[in-house]
Parts: sequence; C-alpha cells; structure tokens
Amino acid sequence: MNRLCNSLEPKVMDDDMLKVAVREQGPQEEAGQLAKQEGILFKDILSLQLDFQNILRIDNLWQFENLRKLQLDNNIIERIEGLENLTHLVWLDLSFNNIEAIEGLDTLVNLEDLSLFNNRISKIDSLDALAKLQVLSLGNNQIGNVMNIIYLRRFKDLRALSLSGNPIAEAEDYKMSVLAYLPDLVYLDSRRIDDHMKELAELKHQYSLDELKHRENQIQAKLENEQDLRKELEKHRAAFVEHLNGSFLFDSMYAEDVEGNKLACLPSVGELLEAYKDKFVIICLNIFEYGLKQQEKRKAELDTFNACVHEAVRENQEQGKHRVAMFEEKHLVSLSAIQDEADITSSEMKLVEYGEDITELYNVLMTLEMQLVEQLEETINMFERNIIDLVGLFIENVQSLMVQCRDLETHHHEKLLEICINTLEKILKGETDEDLPDDVRALFVDKDTIVNAVGTSHDIHLLKIDNREDELLTRANSWCTQLVDKIHQDEISRNRRRVREINQYIDHMQSELDNLEYTDIID
Amino acid sequence: MEVLKEKVEEEEAAEREEAAERAEGARMRPSEVRKGGTIMTQEMLRDLEKKLSEIEITVPGRDSIISEDTVDTSKLPLSYQSNTPKEEHLLQVADNFSCQYSHLCPDRVPLFLHPLNECKVPKFVSTTIRPTLMPYPELYNWDSCAQFVADFLSMVPLSDPLKPPSHLYSSTTVIKYQKGNCFDFSTLLCSMLIGSGYDAYCVNGYGSQDLCHMDLTREVCPLTVKPKQIVQKKEMAPPKKYSVKPPRDLSSRFEKEQEMKKQEGIRAEEERRLRKEEARLQEVANANSDPLYGLRVHCWVLVLSGKREVPENFFIDSFTARSYSTQDDHFLGIESLWNHKNYWVNMQDCWNCCKDLVFDLGDPVRWEYLLLGTDKPYLSVTEEDDNELNDDDDVENLGKEEEDKSFDMPHSWVEQIEISPEAFETRCPNGKKVIHYKQAKLEKWTPYLNSNGLVCRLSTYRDLECTKTLEIKEWYQNRKDMLDLKHINEITGLIIDYFKPGHPQSLRMHSYTSMQPETDRIMEFYEKARVDGLIKREETPKTMTEYYQGRADFLSYRHVTFGPRVKNLALNSAESNPRPMVKITERFFRNSAKPADEDVAERAFLILEERIQLRYHCREDYITASKREFLQRTDVDSKGNKIIMTPDMCISFEVEPMEYTKKLLYQYEAMMQLKNEEKLSRHQAWESELEVLEILKLLEEEEAAHTLTISIYDTKRNEKSREHREAMERVMHEEHMRQVEAQLDYLAPFLAQLLPGEKLTRGQAMRLKDECLSDFKQRLIDKANLIQARFEKETQELQKKQQWYQENQVTLTAEDEDLYLSYCSQAMFRIRILEQRLNRHKELAPLKYLALEEKLHKDPRLVEFLRGYV
Repeated sequence: MNRLCNSLEPKVMDDDMLKVAVREQGPQEEAGQLAKQEGILFKDILSLQLDFQNILRIDNLWQFENLRKLQLDNNIIERIEGLENLTHLVWLDLSFNNIEAIEGLDTLVNLEDLSLFNNRISKIDSLDALAKLQVLSLGNNQIGNVMNIIYLRRFKDLRALSLSGNPIAEAEDYKMSVLAYLPDLVYLDSRRIDDHMKELAELKHQYSLDELKHRENQIQAKLENEQDLRKELEKHRAAFVEHLNGSFLFDSMYAEDVEGNKLACLPSVGELLEAYKDKFVIICLNIFEYGLKQQEKRKAELDTFNACVHEAVRENQEQGKHRVAMFEEKHLVSLSAIQDEADITSSEMKLVEYGEDITELYNVLMTLEMQLVEQLEETINMFERNIIDLVGLFIENVQSLMVQCRDLETHHHEKLLEICINTLEKILKGETDEDLPDDVRALFVDKDTIVNAVGTSHDIHLLKIDNREDELLTRANSWCTQLVDKIHQDEISRNRRRVREINQYIDHMQSELDNLEYTDIID
Repeated sequence: MEVLKEKVEEEEAAEREEAAERAEGARMRPSEVRKGGTIMTQEMLRDLEKKLSEIEITVPGRDSIISEDTVDTSKLPLSYQSNTPKEEHLLQVADNFSCQYSHLCPDRVPLFLHPLNECKVPKFVSTTIRPTLMPYPELYNWDSCAQFVADFLSMVPLSDPLKPPSHLYSSTTVIKYQKGNCFDFSTLLCSMLIGSGYDAYCVNGYGSQDLCHMDLTREVCPLTVKPKQIVQKKEMAPPKKYSVKPPRDLSSRFEKEQEMKKQEGIRAEEERRLRKEEARLQEVANANSDPLYGLRVHCWVLVLSGKREVPENFFIDSFTARSYSTQDDHFLGIESLWNHKNYWVNMQDCWNCCKDLVFDLGDPVRWEYLLLGTDKPYLSVTEEDDNELNDDDDVENLGKEEEDKSFDMPHSWVEQIEISPEAFETRCPNGKKVIHYKQAKLEKWTPYLNSNGLVCRLSTYRDLECTKTLEIKEWYQNRKDMLDLKHINEITGLIIDYFKPGHPQSLRMHSYTSMQPETDRIMEFYEKARVDGLIKREETPKTMTEYYQGRADFLSYRHVTFGPRVKNLALNSAESNPRPMVKITERFFRNSAKPADEDVAERAFLILEERIQLRYHCREDYITASKREFLQRTDVDSKGNKIIMTPDMCISFEVEPMEYTKKLLYQYEAMMQLKNEEKLSRHQAWESELEVLEILKLLEEEEAAHTLTISIYDTKRNEKSREHREAMERVMHEEHMRQVEAQLDYLAPFLAQLLPGEKLTRGQAMRLKDECLSDFKQRLIDKANLIQARFEKETQELQKKQQWYQENQVTLTAEDEDLYLSYCSQAMFRIRILEQRLNRHKELAPLKYLALEEKLHKDPRLVEFLRGYV
C-alpha cells in the first residue's frame, strides 16, 4: 500500500483540501443547501475524514477546535504533529502510515480510541497524557520488547488492544504475558478474552506479577505519603503558622550564627542552650496551636457567611423566577388574545396594557435585585468587620507570644555573656584547664571581641524572630484584604450579571411587542 | 364448717348494727343516687313501672337463650352433669357467703354466684371460666380476641334486663350454638384472655341501654373516623449570624388590625352558630333517655394492668369488642367480679358510675373476696399493716372466718374450648354480620362467601335514619385483579377503586364515574412495576395528562389536548378512528449531563398551527430561561423554489446568546429532530389511549368474571391442589396394595397344612414346593380355560345372532338393523379383546411359572432344603 502511494505525488493539507472534505462530509440535501448558503466554520466540525489523500504532513488543522473524530488513515504521514489544538479529540485514526515514533499526543487528554495500525513504531511511549484511553490498536508495527506491555499498565480504562503482527506477538508466551500484565483487558487482537485463559495466565506469571505489583504499590504509597505531607503543610500555611510545630525556627536561628555555634562548645553553655531550646520550642508550639485554632474559627465564620449569602441569593432568585413565570403565563394568554382580536381599538388597548405589564415586570425584578443588593451589602460589611477583628486578634496574640520569644532570647543572651566573660577571665588568668578549639579560643582575646561575638549572635537571633513575625503579619493581613476584596468583587459581578439578564429579557419582550405592533400596522 | 357457722351466728347479733351501718354507708345502687337527684312522685314511678312491663313483653320469655331441649344433655361429659365433692363444698361456701352477705347488706341484690348450667346443675361462676390459649396466633392479643368473640357469637338479650340470668352455660355449648347473652360472651372472652396471659375478670354490673342492647347507633363508626393528621411543626432554623434582614414592611399596621378584627367577628359568629347547632343536637339525643337507666344488668370484661404489658386498667365490652376506659359513661356500676380463681364483691359506692372505683382487689375494704389464699394482686405492705390494725373489723373477720384456709378453687368443669379452623375462618354465624352505627352501616362477610370477593361494606348515610346514602366503601379480598377497596360516592357518582400491587397493568388507583372511554377518570399506577415509569394518568373528555418518573429520557409530564373527532362513516369505533390531537405539551426533568441552555424543560407541539415551542431549563444562578419557537410552514418563494429555512421561522430568546445557535443549519437540524420527536410523541399519546381502552376492557372483564385467587396453601379451597393431593393418595394406596400383594405369602396355605410347631424336613419341603408349583400351574390353566370359555361363548352368540339376522333379514326394520349392527361391532370387539388376552396369557404363563419356581428356590424357609437339588 505504502509503496503504491509513494509512486504518487504527495499532497499538502491546504485550505482547499480541507474545504472540499468538509463540504463532502457535511450535511446533504436541504440542509446541504443551507450549509452552502451560510458556509460552515471549521470550528463547528465534529468529525473529519481525510483518508487516501497521500498526505505527507499533518498541517492546517488548528482551526478544528471542537473536532471529536479525525481519520487520517492510508496516507504517507511520517510524523505525528500539528494536533496540539484538537484537545476535544476522542477518536484518532492514523493507521496505514509511515509513522516511526509516537509523539505529539500530549495535549489530547480526551482521547479514547487511538489506532496506529500498520506503521513503523518500535516502542510504546509518550502516551502518558491519554488517561482515558480505551482502545489502542498497534498491530503491524515493529514493537519487540515485552516491557512495552508493562508500560500499558498505567491505562486503567484500556479494554481493547491489538498487537498482532509485531515481533513481540511471535513469542510463544505473548498472549499469556499480555493477559497477565493487563488483567482489565477485554479484547486482545479483536478477540474476546475468556476468563479461563486469564486465570491461567495469572497463575503462570504470578511471581513476576507479584513483584511488579509490589513495586507499583510502593511507588503509589510513597506518592500518597508525599501528598499527605504536602497537604498538611498547605493547611499550616493557610493558618500562617507553618514550621512552627517544632524546632524549625530555633534551628534556623542557629543555622547562620557562626559565633553562636562556636560558643556552644563552652562548658555549661550546652546545658543552657538545651534549656533555652526547650522553652523556645514550647512557645513556638503555642503559636502553632493557637494559629490552627484561629484558622478553624475563620473558616467556620466564612462558611456561615457563604451559606447565608447563598441562601439569600437563592431565595431572591426563586422570587424572581416566580415573577417571570407569572408574567409569561399572562403573556401567553394576552398575546393570543391580541392576535385574535378583530377590533383595532381594543387590540391597541391590549397592546398598551401589555406594554405596561412589561414595564411593571421590569420594575419588580429590579426592585427585587436592589433589595438583595442592599441586604447583601449590609451582611458583607458585617462580615468584613468580623473577619478583620478576628485577624487582628490573632495577630495581637501572636505578637505577644513572639515577645516572649524575644525575652527568652535576651535572657539567654545575658546568661551567655556572663559565662563568656567568666571564661574570658579564667583564660586571662590562665586558670583554664580545658581544651578549647582554636577558633573558639580566638574569640577570647579581649572583652570587646567576645562581647561583639555574643552580640552578633544575639542580633542574628532577633532578626530571625522578627522576620518570622513580619512574614506572618503580612500574610495574614493580605489574606484578609484579598478575601474581602474578592467578596465585594463577586457581589458586584453578580449584580451586573443579574441586571444584564433582566435588561436582556425585557428587551426581548419589548421587541416582540414592537413586532406585533408593526405587523398590526401593516395589516 | 358447721362450727364456723355457729360462731358467725353468735357474733352476728352483736355485729348486725354495725354491719348495717356499713352497708348503708356503701350503697351500691346508682339508681338510688339518681332518685336523690330527680325527685319522683309515686305516680311517676307507677307510670314507669307500667312502661317497663310493656317493654318486658317484647323480650322473649325464655329463661335461657338456647332452649333446653336443643341441648342434648345426655352426650355431655360427666363433669357437666354432676358436681364433684370439692365443687359441692365450694357451693356450700358460696351459699354461706351469700347468706351472710344478704344478711349484712340487705338492700343489695343477691349475688350472682352459682347459676345452673345446661344440665341444670348449679355451678360456681369461677369454675365456668376455662382459661384456654387458642392455637391461632391471630387470637393472641386482646383486641383480636375480643373481635373474634364479638363476631363469632350472635347476641341474645337477657330475658330479664334487670336480673342476671338463672342459667350460665359452658363456653363449649355456647360455641356450639354460636349465640349467647352478655354473660356467655364475657365468660368465653375472659377464658381466652386469661389463657393468653391477661389479668382479666368477668364483671357483673350495670350498663347503659346502648351497651346492653349492643346498640351502636349512637356511636360513630370507627372506620369512618379519619385518622388525625399529625401536623408536623416545622422547626424554624435559628437565624444564622449572617442571615440577611428581611426587607422593611411598608404596609399599614392599622389596616391589618382592622382586617383582623373583622375576621374575628365573622369567626365568632360562625362559632356561635355551630355551638347552637351542637346544643340542639345534644337536646335531641337526650330527649329519649332510658327509663331503666342504671338498672340494666350487664356483664363485661375487666383487664387489669400489669400482665402482658397492659399499661392501665380498661374494660372490654364483649358484645362489640370495643375497649373503654374504666371511667366511661356507659358503665354504671359493679356488683361483683370474678376470674377462674376467686370471686370479689364490690364494697365501694357507685354513685358516680365507675369513675371513682379503685381496682385494688387486694384491698378487703373495697373488695370483699370469697376465698382466701389466692393472690392479692395489689395489696402493698403498708396496706397490709392497716388491715392488721383493723383486724377486729367485722366484715373482714366474716370473710376470714368462713374461709377454709386450705381451700382452693376447684378446676373448671368445662371441657377444653375448641374452635375448628372452619369455624374460625367463618367467624360470624353463617359468615355474615351487620352492625349499625351512627349514620353508618357495616356489613362483614367471610372470605370466599361472596363470589366477587366482597368481605366488608361500609355505607355512610347523610341522615340519622339511614335512608340517604352518602358513600359506600367496599373491601375485597383474594381478588385476582387485586382489587382491594371500592369507594363509591353516591352524591357525585364518583367511584374510586384501589388495587394492591400485582394488577396486570400495575394499576394502583382508578377513579371514574363511568367505564366509557374518553370521560373523566384518573388512573394511578405502581410506577416501579411499569417499564415506562407512568405514575398517573388523568383524563377529561378533551384532554389526557400523564405523569412519569424515573425515565431515561427525563420525561415527567405529557399533556395532550384532543380536538373533535372527524366524522368517519366507514369506521367509527374509538380504536380505528382516534381523535385528532391539537396540542401536546411535554415537560422534562433536568438532565444534569447537559448544560441548562440545551436541556429542554418544556416543549409544546401545536399540531394544527404547525408550531413547536421550546422552553429550556433555567441556569443555576439565573431567573430567566431560554426559549425557542419553530414555525414549520413550508412556503414557496416568489421564484417557486421551496423555502427550506428562513430566520423568521425560528424565534429564539437566549439567556446567553451563542454564535452557533444563530446558524440556520443548526436551527434546521433542530427542527428536523423535533419533527421526528413530534411523531414519536403523537404515537405515544395514541398508544396511551389504546392502553386506556385495554385497561377498561380488562377491568370490565374482571368485573364480569370476578375470579378469586386461592392460595396454594389453602388445602380446602384449592381445587387443583386437592385433586393433586387425592391423586397422590390414590397412587399411594395402590402402591400399598401392590406391596401387600407382592408380600403375599404363596407358601402360607401349604405351610398351614403342617402341624403347628412341626419342623420342616427335606421331603416335606420338596413336597411343599411341588404342591405349590402344581397348584400354580393349575390356576394358570384354569385361567386360560376361563378365557377360552368366554371366548367361545361370545363367538357362539355372535354366530347365533348372525344366523338369526340371515333368516329375518327381509322383515327387519331399519332400527333393528342398526341395533344388530352395533351389537355385532361390540361383540367383535369383545371377541378380539378376549383373543388378545388369551394369547397374552399363553405367552406369559410359562414365564410366570418359571418366576415362581425361581422364587420358591430362593424362599428363606425352603432354601436350605432345596439347595442341593438345583
């Protein structure tokens, strides 16, 4: 087939070719006339058939945004390309081409049926994005490695597979291994799989299968674990207290503190540091727990608010619907009455009445909307006040806890300074009997040096604490303002939408009425 | 006993005064109390007496309800005909008790202690109660039990309404004749209730006239009382923190108040009118009050709380099976009460009917007991102390002294009460019972008595005289078409049939005025049993409305309007000439798989105008829905070309205008699809019409045939199963016969020839065998000869007949000839059969002979002697 095609001139997928195909496959007869009259937009096409066209390169398909089914079989295509825009594609037929590798399918997430029969493919890969794949036809290719089958295990919906005509299919164990590795498969090489065979295959490959499953499970478990951790962290972040449930802050304080670390090896500083750390971590935990509690509170507040607003809007909507339904009922009757009316004056009277009805409906709907806007505004303002108060309270309490941290730090600093000076005195007196590392000893030259060193360490610690506090404050505040802004924005857009809807509806009614009047005059 | 009596007599004189005082204090008769209330002159009394005597005349003068000659006393067991010594003793005790009682309370009526039974033997009332647990699970609870007794017996009024009867028959006799007075009813019911574990007592007392005559015409029928609708108060959710404030109320409060006042005035007026009406009715009801009020003797059942989870004491009227509270107005006084163990006399005052009575049978001040030693159910410890303090109380002593401490109530003399399953099923005498209520009549039948399965009919009337029918309710059972209840409204002519699940068309309810098609009717269906999910179909002469649920196409409603039928002379049956449809309206549930703008909520096909109107579902947060209207006129333009589609053929309003929906192609395709769907809808509507006709036909057929279903477990009624069972029995019997034959001892006659006890020798055995075989041979030959003889006889006769025919052939009439010919054919048939039998016998005889020989060789009695010879 391919050789036959090669003798002909390869064609280019240009606009004309597509138009011809669209016209031929489009609606026929009466509908066809209409289509001709109006023209068909490429983006409205759902299905396109381009077989036996001698196409070498897939091109110009970007306009077919809504295409569901594409047939490009029996061409001389060598590369899968130009399909990136067809994200709604469900059915793709690329059989009887000269494709060598699977590629360019990463955006087609809705694909369910893929046919690559009779190509030159040697490896199954690059299909990861096709999570909904159900039918995969890869017969008459050059696939030789059994690992390709294991690759297909990730497609949970895969039910039909054809691999005949590949080197892999010639292995005597081929069928059994496919059945064993893909237990959800229903059709293999266009044949129904019987359950007995499946059982046999499973028994035969039990060991390797178990191993495989074990590995997959491990990976799965690891992934889940990571996800859980991430979720937990996300939760903490939402409460603005991430990493405060441990010694993370304390550790970070000493991470960049060279002098502090050096001084830690002084006698009795170790104990001091230990005690300091314990106290510090306890305060951090306090902040953490308080933060989580406050987060819950804010969430509950937000939920009640949302529920109440939703309820109010729904109620209002029901009222509006009711009004519209009432109007329409009346409108139906009056319209037919107007049409039936022979007398011109009374029909005109009715027209006028009808017009008044429309105006009244408009007024009623608008009043309802205005009423809702007022109600919601009040509620939103109340919520705004409350949420700002809540965040303010939270910040205040966190600040007071942070002050405790600072006090601890200052206290520690004083103690450390005292020890250092004592040590310095001892060293100066030469009474020391301990071996201090050289770099530590270097600090104990004179009083200024050691005081400076301890001071630097203290400054670093304070800076860290300040930074953490600032971060918490800014994030909490910005969250608060963003939330309030969003609520206001949403309300405004809701209001606009409703007003537009009402206007549109009233306009429509009015135009219908005008039409009536117009025809009346003509009559 | 004698000693005791003397002792009593000695004390009597001293105590008489006191006792009399006590008795005076505890005056039992409510009638006397009434007298105090209404002053009666002597004349009035005389008048009353006169009236009474007149009333008496209407009551049959028999002393007992079952005339004595109908009861065959000779067949009754011995316990009925005589008293055991223990019973005699008891009677003496009772006599003594009665004697002292009448002595102490001279103004009270004598006690009802030992009436005569059917054999005219005095029997103590407690021994007439025979506690029995019925083998029917339906009779385990008091209500069903009482209903059974009320249904099963037919009521006979007391011969003298002011006295207890002189006879009290055993429950077995009462059940046999299925009728009795209130004492018989109560005794039977009490026996059954005690048997199933209730703390029940027979009560001898005074009842209202309605009660004594089983007159329910003043009562509202319990079936007509509509169950009170439980108004579930919707709990208002507490307003949440951020609930919006309601819009300000701008209406005038003053105006509202004025309106309220006005309304209230109207309501008050109405109420006053109602009250007046009520008062008038009350007066009418009171006008014919009973002159014998408070004197009529009645017997009913008291159930005390405690056993079988009965929460409080209550009365059961055994005539009507209704339960009353102990405070009910119908019960005017209690003389005494008894169960199978003891007998209590009421010592409390009944001036206020039974309202103040305390049913604490352990309290000897209130209830004087006959026998000591039986349980005192309610006496608490503190009360016991009181009793000890009051030990010198004479009445107390009286009771105790005459008591033989070791004496127990003898066992009941009544035989086991048995009710056959047939009688249990038939219930009412002759299987039919009629009860009159206030403005209602209730008729009951046994299942299968009426061929149309009718078991109960309740007719309600507009007036008190029961002449103008208001409505009739008929309950059916075992209907093949599962008809359960037919409700006929006589005023509107509306009939509503209710069906149980299982109708071939899964009909649930059918309400109609006539069975003619195309009239007003409503049919409801069991939608789960139907493939198309139809719930309800309403019809008027011009329309048909159907409601659906749970369909794959989300259809919920279809309304079809019909136009006048086109006259068609050739075919004018409804089936072949359907009415033209003018308009079909269909509504759909929301299909969540589609966006709201494409999900049709309602579509109307205006068939005559060739218009199709579509209304779509409303979007989530919108208040208006898209609409579209198609005009499917096919016009021709000025050049003569057919116009396929023009923009004015589709008028649409879209909430969110889309580009593609403006295209003519899209509209054209939508219209084409709608055209197809219109055809489908019309077809479905037509099918619905046909279905209605089919159902009506089916209902009519069923009404005409009214076949009843019979459960396969109903062994008596199920013809098929009975036949099958009988066939099975026959087969079993035959099988049994065959086995008996097979086991026939062919050696027995020969063995009998031997002397008894004689040992069988080998020679004898050989001889036995030979004899047996030769005998058998002889029999076979005889049989063959017999058949041969018959054969020959037949042949000869035939030959004779033929000869006779030959001779008289000329003179014979046609009839004779026919006779001859038929005789010939029959004779030939007989001969042939005989011939066959002979041949068969000849074939089988040697085989049979051999078989017997074989058998004899294997016979255990001969085998050891014959072993060597075979």
